[in-house]
Amino acid sequence: MSEPLLEVDDLTVQYETDDGMLTATSNASFSISEGEFFGLAGESGSGKSTLAKAIIGGLDDNGQVSSGTITYRGEEIQDLSDKELSQRIRWKEISWIPQGAMSSLDPLQRVSEQALEIGNVHTDLPDEEIRDKLKETFDIVGLQESRIDDYPHQFSGGMQQRAIIALALFLEPELVIADEPTTALDVIMQDQIFTYLDRLKDELDISLLLITHDISVIFESCDSVAIMHASQIAERGTTDAVHANPRHPYAFMFKEAFPDIREPKRELEVIEGHPPELMGEVDFCSFADRCPWAAPECREGAPPTESVEDGDPSHVTACVRKEEAYEMYRSDASPIDDGSGAQSIAQMGEVD
Amino acid sequence: MSANQPVLEIKNLKKYFEGNTDIVDMIMRREPSQIQAVDGVSMTLQENESVAVIGESGCGKSTLLRTLIGLHDISAGDIVYKGTPVSEFDKADWKEYRRNVQVIFQDPFNSLNPKMTVRESLAEPLDIHGIGNKEERVREVLEQVELQPAEKYLDRKPTNLSGGEKQRVSIGRALILDPDVILADEPVSMLDVSTQAAVLTKMKELINDFDVSMIYISHDLSTVSYIAETVKVMYLGRFVESARTKRLLEDPKHPYTEALVSAIPVPDPTYDRERTEMSGAPRDPIDIGEGCRFRDRCPEVIPPDDIEIDQQAYREIMSFREFLEREEVGLERIEKIVEVNERSALVDAVQREYFDHELTGKNESTLRSALTSLADGNEDLAIERLRERFESVCETTPPEVEAEPEWHVACHHHTEIDRTTVAGGGGTDATGDSGSDATGSVAHAEHQ
Repeated sequence: MSEPLLEVDDLTVQYETDDGMLTATSNASFSISEGEFFGLAGESGSGKSTLAKAIIGGLDDNGQVSSGTITYRGEEIQDLSDKELSQRIRWKEISWIPQGAMSSLDPLQRVSEQALEIGNVHTDLPDEEIRDKLKETFDIVGLQESRIDDYPHQFSGGMQQRAIIALALFLEPELVIADEPTTALDVIMQDQIFTYLDRLKDELDISLLLITHDISVIFESCDSVAIMHASQIAERGTTDAVHANPRHPYAFMFKEAFPDIREPKRELEVIEGHPPELMGEVDFCSFADRCPWAAPECREGAPPTESVEDGDPSHVTACVRKEEAYEMYRSDASPIDDGSGAQSIAQMGEVD
Repeated sequence: MSANQPVLEIKNLKKYFEGNTDIVDMIMRREPSQIQAVDGVSMTLQENESVAVIGESGCGKSTLLRTLIGLHDISAGDIVYKGTPVSEFDKADWKEYRRNVQVIFQDPFNSLNPKMTVRESLAEPLDIHGIGNKEERVREVLEQVELQPAEKYLDRKPTNLSGGEKQRVSIGRALILDPDVILADEPVSMLDVSTQAAVLTKMKELINDFDVSMIYISHDLSTVSYIAETVKVMYLGRFVESARTKRLLEDPKHPYTEALVSAIPVPDPTYDRERTEMSGAPRDPIDIGEGCRFRDRCPEVIPPDDIEIDQQAYREIMSFREFLEREEVGLERIEKIVEVNERSALVDAVQREYFDHELTGKNESTLRSALTSLADGNEDLAIERLRERFESVCETTPPEVEAEPEWHVACHHHTEIDRTTVAGGGGTDATGDSGSDATGSVAHAEHQ
């Protein structure tokens, strides 16, 4: 966990639409070290999936990296051709667990055939070696090695999900990008999947970029987190620091919107509205229209990313009113809790 | 309505579907298999009460809801609405029932007619039931669900509303006829978390303000405390546990509820939650018999009282027999790997593949003889041999539903005889190794 494996620097990704250039990611920066689990959180429409697709060159035809760099092991990869990415980067360096993974296995091919197809495109390895690698990975994700020649329908849902993880891992990539890998799964199944993802960290020293709207799983599984809102990274740092000292209003409101089973009566935060679609340059804070503490200067320029100064050097936030807003939030919050808020909580959750 | 009469009573309700039959089945006159989607569910809903039904996908919760609104025929049991069973309903009664029992569906993106404005969507139920003063009522409801000012929303179509706004319109549409009961099917699961809280809180307020009762159906235990006082946990067509929400979250009794509660992620990096050790997914509820629904995954399944066996080793034997019964043991596949064409080599290979835990004595020899039968191609005998020695009370007898005020749990670990033992002996946290020993001894105590 030392030198950065992947560095995203000042990255802007735009889509060409009939109405002009739609900005999905605006001046985003973060880095992932070797062996690090990094979570990217945000609501739908925040641009987190676009960011991940940009890293492996998987943007839709109308999408493009407009500015900034993506550096993998010291090499800029944002301008590599599709062919170069396929030959050198995809799968054996950076692999992908897709969203809706359950339906991403080919039902007409044995899992081993799908692995051979991937292996033949991305490596020069002989088939036998590819099969051996798949067997090893099956073992890690808790599937019997002998089942690599099964068809997807011979697996239960949870086993299919693990087979997908095995396919993402068997060429021993350094970085795995998982886009909502457990969304739409039941909690027990989700927990099973993360059991195996945890194991990768221990056994393979792999890095993970986990993209999800569910900050609970990021807080549980990741070392660092970036919280995105409508194309901008609002706050980023170690999960411990962001959890303990969130400063961006979106970060602390988003965090407080999640239920915690240990406090079933806590009042949940509500963020009004939804992330805006942004055209052209985003030279303002994209959260300003939803932010209860927005000031005129929030709309006068994109807020600079600054250190939170809480002892975690990686903990930064992009809010011009970061200290004031948090102070006001905390002092505002208490009278509500003691007054009408407490009353409505009592009505809501009182069970005795 | 008298003071104690429940609004809605569900009595041992069953909804079975017939499995697929092909032409061979028809020629052979085989009975079609029964999918036991809802299998003997009972509950009462009092005035102004909100009850949550929680379960994973496939547990039958949505079938329950559809049966409640008459979209499915009832296979057995009954639904009693204010003292009248729906089986005795005539057409007018049904219309009255449907007016008073309203549904909020999961997907606000598809449950509103895209061609109708908000005004039209909200006025439609009033038209159907011939209620006047539409405009006034529509505005009133919009205000109640906090879509204000009404003018801003009245003429919009669903495409111009956000997910949260759409779901508020759906809630408004359910409330506009002033119903007695609202059935909500995963009403917030499609919404972003930033909106979920607002919609849930609003629903809870409305239930209180309007004297409405609610059955809230969801897979999500983490938000249920915001909406319901009572929770019923459903697994493969049956309620396995019912309790007050707070109690259920703090002290789940049924092994399935325990697993469900413990699998919920906690948004705190400093909190060290243990991941679930349960494997697999719920089976299909086809011809599932009478035993405990959770027996094939339960980490605390009860061995017969005359054998001594480690809990995890017992779990493996039980799972293996389940595989055999469902014809899921890949004998040919294993045969291919073991190149030696010898029966004992095949038996060894099967044992290696399916069993990690050591067995001794009679347990070991029974397993070996069963595996030998299997290697000879006689699956039925293999099953029979295993069943004879290892059959669990969890398979044969439906667990008694133990009634204590406001707490029911369908598990043999919690039957009356040994409840004190369980409470004192690790019944609440019997997940670790020592726990399973304790559980084993409880099981023995129970049968003496």
